[in-house]
Amino acid sequence: MNTDTQYLHDVADSDYEHGWVTEIEADTIPKGLNEGIIRLISSKKDEPEWLLAWRLRAFRHWQSLAAETDKYPRWAHLDYPDIDYQDISYYSAPSSKPKYESLDEVDPELLRTFERLGIPLEEQKRLTGVAVDAVIDSVSVGTTFKEELARQGIIFCSFSEAVEHHPELVKKYMGSVVPYTDNFYAALNSAVFSDGSFCYIPKGVRCPMELSTYFRINEAGTGQFERTLIVADEGSYVSYLEGCTAPQRDENQLHAAVVEIIAHKDAEVKYSTIQNWYPGNAEGKGGVFNFVTKRGICDGDRSKISWTQLETGSSITWKYPSVILKGNDSIGEFYSVAFTKGRQQADTGTKMIHIGNNTSSTIISKGISAGRSNNSYRGLVKVNKGAKNARNFSQCDSMLLGDRCGAHTFPYLEINNPTAQVEHEATTSKVGEDQIFYCNQRGISEQDAIKLIVSGFCQEILAMLPMEFAVEARKLLAIELEGSVG
Amino acid sequence: MPAALIDKDTRLEDRFVSAFEMQEGLSLNGSNDGLRRLRKEAIGHFATLGFPARKTEAWKYTNIGKLLKRPYALTFGPSDDSVSASDVEALLIPDLEAHVAVFVNGHFNAALSRLDDLPEGVVVTGLAEAAETHTALLDAHLARYADSEGEVFTALNTAFTKDGAFVYVPRNAVVEKPVQLINLMTTAEDALVQPRNLIVAEENAQVRLIQSSRATTEVKTFVNAVSEVFVGDHAHVDRYEIQDEGTTTSMVTTLNVYQQASSVFRNSTFTFGGEVIRNNITVLPDAEQCETHLYGLFLADGTMHVDNHTLVDHAMPNCFSNEFYKGILDGRATGIFNGKVLVRQDAQQTNAYQSNKSIVLTDTASMYAKPELEIYADDVKCSHGATTGQLDEEAIFYLRTRGLTLQRARALMLVSFARAVLDNVTLEPLQEALDAMVTARFSD
Repeated sequence: MNTDTQYLHDVADSDYEHGWVTEIEADTIPKGLNEGIIRLISSKKDEPEWLLAWRLRAFRHWQSLAAETDKYPRWAHLDYPDIDYQDISYYSAPSSKPKYESLDEVDPELLRTFERLGIPLEEQKRLTGVAVDAVIDSVSVGTTFKEELARQGIIFCSFSEAVEHHPELVKKYMGSVVPYTDNFYAALNSAVFSDGSFCYIPKGVRCPMELSTYFRINEAGTGQFERTLIVADEGSYVSYLEGCTAPQRDENQLHAAVVEIIAHKDAEVKYSTIQNWYPGNAEGKGGVFNFVTKRGICDGDRSKISWTQLETGSSITWKYPSVILKGNDSIGEFYSVAFTKGRQQADTGTKMIHIGNNTSSTIISKGISAGRSNNSYRGLVKVNKGAKNARNFSQCDSMLLGDRCGAHTFPYLEINNPTAQVEHEATTSKVGEDQIFYCNQRGISEQDAIKLIVSGFCQEILAMLPMEFAVEARKLLAIELEGSVG
Repeated sequence: MPAALIDKDTRLEDRFVSAFEMQEGLSLNGSNDGLRRLRKEAIGHFATLGFPARKTEAWKYTNIGKLLKRPYALTFGPSDDSVSASDVEALLIPDLEAHVAVFVNGHFNAALSRLDDLPEGVVVTGLAEAAETHTALLDAHLARYADSEGEVFTALNTAFTKDGAFVYVPRNAVVEKPVQLINLMTTAEDALVQPRNLIVAEENAQVRLIQSSRATTEVKTFVNAVSEVFVGDHAHVDRYEIQDEGTTTSMVTTLNVYQQASSVFRNSTFTFGGEVIRNNITVLPDAEQCETHLYGLFLADGTMHVDNHTLVDHAMPNCFSNEFYKGILDGRATGIFNGKVLVRQDAQQTNAYQSNKSIVLTDTASMYAKPELEIYADDVKCSHGATTGQLDEEAIFYLRTRGLTLQRARALMLVSFARAVLDNVTLEPLQEALDAMVTARFSD
């Protein structure tokens, strides 16, 4: 048992494996947040007038929230110092800005960065059929497979390009699921967002490949504020992957992203995330503050939105991917694994809002806490008055790998219709000594046994990830558990 | 003696503070310095805390401020002659032999009570009287378990404490017959009644309590009751509360339980009527091997609003707790269940279970469930489950093929749903009486 405890300690103390800094010359604007900065960001990106006006409206709303201290969201089970929003630079872009036609033109330093992350862009392009829209800090620098997608009428580009080439789509959908008045961080993002991804799948098209972006936070002292907008038109299907790692940094980095998904009639969107940003050192110093607003709307009948996430990084995670089930017979799903160690804190979960008839939602959340971390599930299932025959199943399991960590569940169930069937269950457990003993008997070491048990605990969720991601996710989880022990 | 009718223009909290200043001397045991200090502190806490705002998380689904705006009278005669033995009779449990203590508007009424054959050493009386006769016990226990600093309604109650029930079961005493505490409200004007109950069961003591109340008038009453229960080593306390008010009575009840080693505490709350009912239960098993059971059943119809909040605060290892709440919501009723299990770092080997099941019968009724787990120890077994649904169509169809009317089939299923809670009532006559109440509710 001693070696076991030792191992768990090592896991809890292990260093961040993906920490380094890419030396690319960056174009960064001064710290601070005011109207001038918003105008500067907008002008740097050659944005049209309407977008600047929208940013400014969002900024004024954010100001009114920031002015009243009780409007600042403090309800989460998180403990962190107040953020000085004037001490952050809100824009950073690689300075050599021209858009590349081929990967050969891309800074080789940048390509090496991706290789170290295990995502060789060229290889992927040739072998795996994944189109990669790589975002370093805030500006999109490489987009692959675009032509092939274009043949099917699929638009997959950076947000800035979408603003330039498809303003009517952006105007129609931006802010329609997450308005800038939604919450504190959504307002902030709407005011200062630098770039992100845009995806439109036309009627009846099944996207032939997984679309993916890899986000990295790169410049010291810059927050990253992407905005993703995915529109799936009638009868279409898309699987979207988002994965992140960030270099090791000493000061807290703020990340406030917004993701909006619109699924029209009979459309299906599958959104998968792996999040592995710098979690801070053993004392909890540094690390990324991750405040994300993710929401999808099942707008048409029989539409479906599915969120799958593996959260292992960030010192603070505040994230509730949600689905508004507006169309009849629509389906919402949320599958999540959150792993915290060291001093990490996660408050994550989902919201399922049932509005249409015969809607169903499934929530399966697995939390694993180690070290001195705190891991909370917070989720809402709301059945509106007119929503007939709504069905929900929620399951929240927690596993504790130490006696100094915390695992919490805060579910909210709001039922306003008698035909709803809502079930929620939660359990908390630890890795059993008998389980480890059983593995030892069969010649499996403590470490491997714990990996085995944790991986089995998460199996249900990891199986939901697309193939390429599932492999990476398993590897990541194993590395996280392994820590410095190797 | 209708003093201090609250006037309309000042801030709500200030009305209570000035009422407190006006009638300080009228409160419980004005001559006792300790109690006076307690009340003074409490009114200070009350003023600081203020009533819950609309956004306060613990009061998210219950807008209590709206009710408090009514100009309730805060004081009235210590007792009322209009209450007769027949009023009491109506609240007795058929076939149940019990010691009965009667309170009128929160004040102990010895004449109506039947407490002749209490076992040696056992005391059942009013808190005001106990303040004179059992000063040491009050000093040791009163306001020790309820949280005046953090809970605004506890602070308010403490500041205005005048009377309530006092039950003392000394070491090794076993009270065979249950003790029934009946509170009758008969004020002539809208009133805020604030009973304060103290139950002390010392080492190895055993007692069963039934608490019930009823308003006999049509005026609006608001009851802000605080009960503190001390359960000593190896002691057993079973407590049943029956809430069957008319639509003119609202209630905030706060129950704070402090458990010592190897003690067993069981509480059951049955809510059948009322305007707005809010029950706060906080249990602190502060030693090893404690056992805690919390049961609840609420049947709400009309515009009734029932809000059950529980917190089991596991601070010590090797304890067991179990919560089981069921509700049926009809009409435009609203039900809330917010149960929280907190397992602190040192509370290893805790087993804590929580279950909440509700049926919503109409599309104007609502159910809000918030079962929470907050766990800081790793070697524990904790689980919670919450379900909300409707009656199973197929089961109803089955019963109808057997010749039952739709009405009968529904009634049968609802009664059996509720019985799962009643099964845990160990006093047979009480169980039968409650069963009859539930059956009557669904049989028409």
